[in-house]
Amino acid sequence: MFGTLDTTTSALVAQRTRSEVIAANMANSNAIQDENGENNPFRRRLAIFSTGDPATGSKTGVHVREIAMDPSEFQYRYMPDHPLAAKDGPHAGYVAFPNIDPMMEQVDMMEAARAYEANIMVAEATKSMIQTSLRLIA
Amino acid sequence: MINGMFDSGAMPTLERMIQFTGRRHQYIAHNIANISTPYFKPIDLDPKAFQHQLAGAIERRRHTGNPQRGDLELRSTRQVRVRGKSLEFLPAETNDGILFHDRNNRSLEHIMQDLVENTTAHRMSIELLKSEFDLLETAIRERL
Amino acid sequence: MTDPLGLIPNQGVSPLQSKQAAQAARPIQGPQFKEVMLQQIEQVNKLQQEAQFAVEDIATGRGNEETAFMATQKAEIAFQMLLQVRNKLMDAYDEVKQIRV
Repeated sequence: MFGTLDTTTSALVAQRTRSEVIAANMANSNAIQDENGENNPFRRRLAIFSTGDPATGSKTGVHVREIAMDPSEFQYRYMPDHPLAAKDGPHAGYVAFPNIDPMMEQVDMMEAARAYEANIMVAEATKSMIQTSLRLIA
Repeated sequence: MINGMFDSGAMPTLERMIQFTGRRHQYIAHNIANISTPYFKPIDLDPKAFQHQLAGAIERRRHTGNPQRGDLELRSTRQVRVRGKSLEFLPAETNDGILFHDRNNRSLEHIMQDLVENTTAHRMSIELLKSEFDLLETAIRERL
Repeated sequence: MTDPLGLIPNQGVSPLQSKQAAQAARPIQGPQFKEVMLQQIEQVNKLQQEAQFAVEDIATGRGNEETAFMATQKAEIAFQMLLQVRNKLMDAYDEVKQIRV
C-alpha cells in the first residue's frame, strides 16, 4: 500500500514539472532575441512523460523522460520596419517569433491541473484505506 | 479449533476481497499517474471475474457439510492465481475508451469511478472483518 | 390446633389442602425454560448465518450493501443479548449455590 503513495508522488512531481515547462513557454511567448542580440526566438519546450520512476527504481509511476524542443516552425510576422527583420533570404522583411500559441498552452495547463487533482484524490483514497486498515489493529 | 476459528462465517470471503481490492488499488493508482503519458495502455484487474471466482468457491463451501465453516477453495483463473493463502495477480491491458492523439486510451472519469468503488469495497471489507473479529473477542472475553 | 371434641366449625378442609387439590386439577402450562433457551440460541445462530450469507452476497456482487450491514448489526446485537442473559444466569446459579441450607 505504501508503494502506491510512491506512484502517486511521482505523478504529482511529473505534472508539476510539466506545469513549470508550460509556464516557461507562456512567459517567453514573445522572446525574439537571444543573448547575442540576434533574431533567434525562444523555442517551445515539451515535457515528455514515460512510465516508471527511476527515483525509486519501481516500474509503476511516471517520470519526465526529457524536456524536448518542439521542432515545429517559428511564427513569421511581416514587420519590414522592425530592426530585427531579416534583410534578405526567403523571410525578408519578416521577424521570427516563438512557436508558442498561448491558447494551446492554456489548455495544456488546464489538463495538467486536472491530472494533478486526480492524483491528489488517489493519494487521499490511499490514505483512507491505510487508516481503515489500522483500525483492524487498534 | 484455533484454525477453525478463522475459517468461520464470512471471514475467508472478506480476506480474499481485501487482497483483491488492495492490489487493484495499486493498478488504478498507476493508471491515474500515467494519465498524460503518450502510448500508455491502462492495466487493470476485472472485478466481475473475481466475483465469479468467489461465487464458485462459496457455492462449493456451502455444499460441504457445514456452510459456516471451512476455508474457501478458490480455483485459479487467468488473472488471479491461487497460491495457498496468497493470490498472484496478472493484470491485463484494458482496451475500452477512445484512442486519443497520443495513443493513450484513457478515460479519466471511468478510472475515477473505479477508484471510488474499489476504495469503498476495500474499506467496507475491512470494517466487516473487524466486526467478525470483535465477535470472537466478545465470546472469548465472556463480557461485552 | 387440635380439636378432639370437634367443637370448632369449618375444620374439614384447611387452606393448604385446598390449594394442592386445585393444582392437582390444573397441569403446569407453557414451555420449559430449557426449551426457551435452546430456541433463543437457535435464533441467534440463524441471524449469524443470515449475516454471513448477506456478506457473501455482496462479495459476489449479488447483494445489497445495506442488507448486509443491517444483518451484521442484528446478529451482533442478538449475540450480545444472549451473552448477557447467559452471564445473568451464571451469576444467579452461583448465588443459589452459595445458599447454605
